[in-house]
Amino acid sequence: MTQQVLAWLDERLDLSALRAFVAEKTVPKHRHSVWYYMGGITLFLVGVQVATGILLLLYYRPSASEAYESVQFIVSQVQFGWLIRNLHAWSANLLILMAFVHLFSTFFLRAYRKPRELTWVTGVLLLFIMLAFGFSGYLLPWNELAFFATKVGTGSAGAVPVVGDFIVRFLRGGDDVTGATLTRFYGIHVAILPAITTVLLGAHLLFIQRQGMSVPLSVEKREKAGEKIPQEPFFPNYVLHDVMWWYVALAVLAALSLFLPWELGTKADAFASVPAGIRPEWYFLAMFQTLKLIPSHVMGLEGEMLGVLGFSVAAGLLLVMPFLDRHAADGRPSKLITAAGILAVIYLVVFTIYGYLAA
Amino acid sequence: MNEVPRRLFLDTVLGLGFVSTAIAILYPVWRYVIPPASAEPATDSVVAGKVSEFRPNSGAVLKFGTKPALLVRTSDGQFKAFNAVCTHLDCTVQYKSDTSQIWCPCHNGFYDLSGAVVSGPPPRPLESFQVNLRGEPGQEDVVISRT
Amino acid sequence: MATWLRNLTFVVAVVLALAAPAAAQPAQTSGCETCHKEHPQPALSTPARDFLATDVHRERGFTCVDCHGGNPNETDQVRAKAPATGFKGKPSPQGVTAVCARCHSDAAFMRKYAPKQRVDQEAEYATSVHGQQLAKGDTKVATCISCHGAHGVRLVSDAKSPVYPVNVAATCTTCHADTERMKGYKLPDGSPLPTDQRVKYEKSVHYTAMTQRSDLSAPTCNDCHGNHGAAPPGVGAVTNVCGTCHGVFATKFALSTHRQIFDRGCVECHSNHEIIEPTDAMLGTDKSSMCITCHSDGDNGFKAAAGMRAEIDKLKAAIDRSHALVSSAENAGMAMDEQSLALREAANHLTLARTEMHAFEPKAVTTVLEAGLGITAKVDAEGQAALEEVSFRKTGLAVSLGAILLVVVALWLKIRSLRATD
Repeated sequence: MTQQVLAWLDERLDLSALRAFVAEKTVPKHRHSVWYYMGGITLFLVGVQVATGILLLLYYRPSASEAYESVQFIVSQVQFGWLIRNLHAWSANLLILMAFVHLFSTFFLRAYRKPRELTWVTGVLLLFIMLAFGFSGYLLPWNELAFFATKVGTGSAGAVPVVGDFIVRFLRGGDDVTGATLTRFYGIHVAILPAITTVLLGAHLLFIQRQGMSVPLSVEKREKAGEKIPQEPFFPNYVLHDVMWWYVALAVLAALSLFLPWELGTKADAFASVPAGIRPEWYFLAMFQTLKLIPSHVMGLEGEMLGVLGFSVAAGLLLVMPFLDRHAADGRPSKLITAAGILAVIYLVVFTIYGYLAA
Repeated sequence: MNEVPRRLFLDTVLGLGFVSTAIAILYPVWRYVIPPASAEPATDSVVAGKVSEFRPNSGAVLKFGTKPALLVRTSDGQFKAFNAVCTHLDCTVQYKSDTSQIWCPCHNGFYDLSGAVVSGPPPRPLESFQVNLRGEPGQEDVVISRT
Repeated sequence: MATWLRNLTFVVAVVLALAAPAAAQPAQTSGCETCHKEHPQPALSTPARDFLATDVHRERGFTCVDCHGGNPNETDQVRAKAPATGFKGKPSPQGVTAVCARCHSDAAFMRKYAPKQRVDQEAEYATSVHGQQLAKGDTKVATCISCHGAHGVRLVSDAKSPVYPVNVAATCTTCHADTERMKGYKLPDGSPLPTDQRVKYEKSVHYTAMTQRSDLSAPTCNDCHGNHGAAPPGVGAVTNVCGTCHGVFATKFALSTHRQIFDRGCVECHSNHEIIEPTDAMLGTDKSSMCITCHSDGDNGFKAAAGMRAEIDKLKAAIDRSHALVSSAENAGMAMDEQSLALREAANHLTLARTEMHAFEPKAVTTVLEAGLGITAKVDAEGQAALEEVSFRKTGLAVSLGAILLVVVALWLKIRSLRATD
C-alpha cells in the first residue's frame, strides 16, 4: 500500500531524486560508529518534548495565580496528565544530557573540521538554545524551588558589566521575579525558542544530509591510504538502528518516570524566605558551584562578574572551535585542544557532583 | 531453511512490538486530550452544582481553592456565598436554617446573611464571594467566584 | 450688570458663605483665659492652655465658668471671682463628682448633647471601691478627672483619650502600679494590693488581641472590673464576668463539678491578669499541667484528666498522620481536595473537644474526639486508595517499559539478521 501512495506522490512531485538519495545513502561503519546515534537520540528527545509540550499547552495557564494550580490540575485531573508531565520533565533532562554527549563525541572525533564547520556552529547554538529551554521551562510550574532558582539564575546575569542590569530586567520582565517573569518565560519557551530551533535544527540536519557522516581522523587516514571503509545502507539498517536507540531512550524515560516521578512541590511565595540548599538543575550546577567558590573580589574586580565573563569566553571559544583547531582537517588535531576538552569534561563532572554534595 | 520462518517470527514480533508501543503512546494521548470531568482548575471560581440541588433555606459547605466556602440559599431563593472559615479560630461555619443565620459550632459565633458578626467571639465579618448562575434556564450551574 | 461684576459678586458671596460657618463656631473665650493663659505659675496656666487646645466640652460651647463659676466678662481678678458670681475655684477631691454630675447626671440636659450617653455614672461611682474610699475621706483614690482629665477632655472614642480601650490599662496603672501610692491598701484577705497587674496583663492574649490584632472588643481593666463602678468582680462572680464573652465555656463550666469547688472560677487555671495562650499541656497529668495542682494519682479526676489529654493527643497525631498521607498522595499527582477539606473538619473537632473539656466530663469529650477520629480514618482510607492508584499507574508504566524493551531486543536481532545477509 505504501508503494501505491509513493507512486501517487511521485506522479505529482517527482520523488525520484529523493528516492535515489535514500536508496543509495550509506553510513560508514567503524569502531566509533556508535557515536553517530547520539545526535539521533537527541533529535528524538526534541520530538518528545515538542509532542508532550504541545499536550501540556492544552491545559497549562501562564499566570502567577494559576500556573501551579493548572499543573496540579494536569497531574491530578487530566487523564494521563501525570504521565505527560513526567515525560516532559524527564525528557528535558535527558535531552540536555544527550546534547552534551553528542557535543563531546563530535568534539573528540573532530567532526567539526572542514567542511563541517557550520554544522558545528549550528549545533553549539542549539545546545545553548536547549539550555535556555531548560531554564525557561523550569519556572513554568511556579513552585518554590523553581521560583528561587530563577531568582538566583537571573540575578547572576546582573554580573555582566555595563549591560548586566538591563539583561536582568529584560529577562525578569521587571526588577523582581514576578508573574511578569512567568509570562515572559512562557513566551520564550513556547514560541521564541521553538522558532529559533526550527531554523537552526533545519539547517543542522540539512548540512548533515548534504555532507554525510564525518569519520574519525584515523579512519580518514585509512581512506586516504586507499582502504575501502565498510558502509552500512542508511535504509533500512541505519534507520532501524536509529529507531532502536530511540526505543532505548524511551525505555530510560519510562524507567525514570517509574522510579523517580516528578513532584509538584509547594506553590511559589515571593515573600517566603529562600529555602536552604537552593540550587539550579544539574545542568547548571557546575557553573553555579564555580560562581559560589569565586571570592567576591579578585584583584579589585567583582568575582561574580569574572565568573560570568569566564563562562561567556568559554562559550565563545566553543562556538568557534573549528576555526581554532584548523589543522584538524589536515590530520593534525591540536593536542592542546584535546587536553582542554578532557579537562572540560572532568571539570563539568567533578563540579556537578560537588554542587550536589555541597547543597 | 530455518531462515524464513525465523525471519517471519522476528518480523511478527517486531510488528507486534511497534503496534503495542504505538498504542501505549497513542491511547494515553487520546485520553489526555479529551477534557476531564471538571473542566478547569478551581482557583478563582468553582461550580457548586446545579440550581435544583440547593433547596431554599439551606446551606452547603464546599471546597473553593484551598479553603472551604459556604453556599447559602435563602428562603426567597437567593444565593449567597462566604468564606466558610470562621474569623475567630478557623473552624468551619455552617448554616442554621432555624434562625437563618450562619453559625460556628466551636464557640457559638453567629453571623448574619451579609457576613457581619451578630454575636460571639468572631472579631471580623465573613468574606463574601460572588454567586452567578450560568447556563440554560432551569438547569443553571451555580458558580461561586471571588469578587 | 456687567458680566465681570456679576461674577465677582458671586465669588465674594460664596467666600462669605463659606466663612460664615467658621464665624459661627463657639470659639467663645472668657475673661478667665485672658489671664490664666499667660499665668507665670504653670499650675494655673496649664489648665487654661489644655482647655484651649482640645477639649470636648469647649467644642460644645462650654467655658471655664460652667464648672468653676465666676464672671467671664470681668478681667479684674477680684471682681471676676467674687463670691456673688458663684465662683467655686478648684473643686476638692470629694467635690469633683458633684461638679461633673451637675450636667452628666441630668438626663434632660445630656439629651441635648449626647442623647444615648448614660447619666448614672455618679451612682455607679458611689458603689465602686474608689467611691467608697472617697466617702471615707481617702483622697488618694481616682475621681472623674483622674481618668478623664479635667481640661483636655476627649471623647472615649478618641484614640488619644486616656480611656480609649488601648490606653485604659496605662491610665489605671498610673496609680495601681505605683507601689508608693498603693502602700497601705489591702486585699480582703489581708495581703497587700498587687501592683503588677499591668506587667501581667501585657503578657496576656487579651492585650495581644487589642494591640496587635486591633480587636477593640478584647477586654482591658474596665471590661472585667467595671468603669465607673470599678471593683473586683468578687469570688463567685468571675465565671459570669469571663462568660460575658466566653459564653460557651462559662455555660459548660457552670454545669461541671468544678463549679462548686473552684473559688475563683476560670481564674484557677487561666489566671486573672496574665491570661496566656492556653495549650493542651495545661490538661493532663504531667508536671506542666494544671490538673495535678489538686488531683493526684488514683483519684477520679486524675484518671479523667489523663484520659482526656491522651485522647486529644491521639486525634492530633491522627490528623498529622493523615495530613502527611494526603500530602504524599497530592505530591504524587492525586487530587486530594476533598480529603484536605475533611481534615479541616477533623481539626475543628479538636477545637470543639477543647471547648467540651470545660465541662470536665470525659464522656462528652470522647464523643467529639471519636467523631474526629472517624474523619481521619476515612481520610486515611481514601489516601491509601490514592496511593494504590499511584502504584497501579506505576505497574502500567512498568508493563509499557517491558514492551519497549521487547521492541529494543527485537530491533537488535533484526539489525543483526540484516547484517548477516549483507
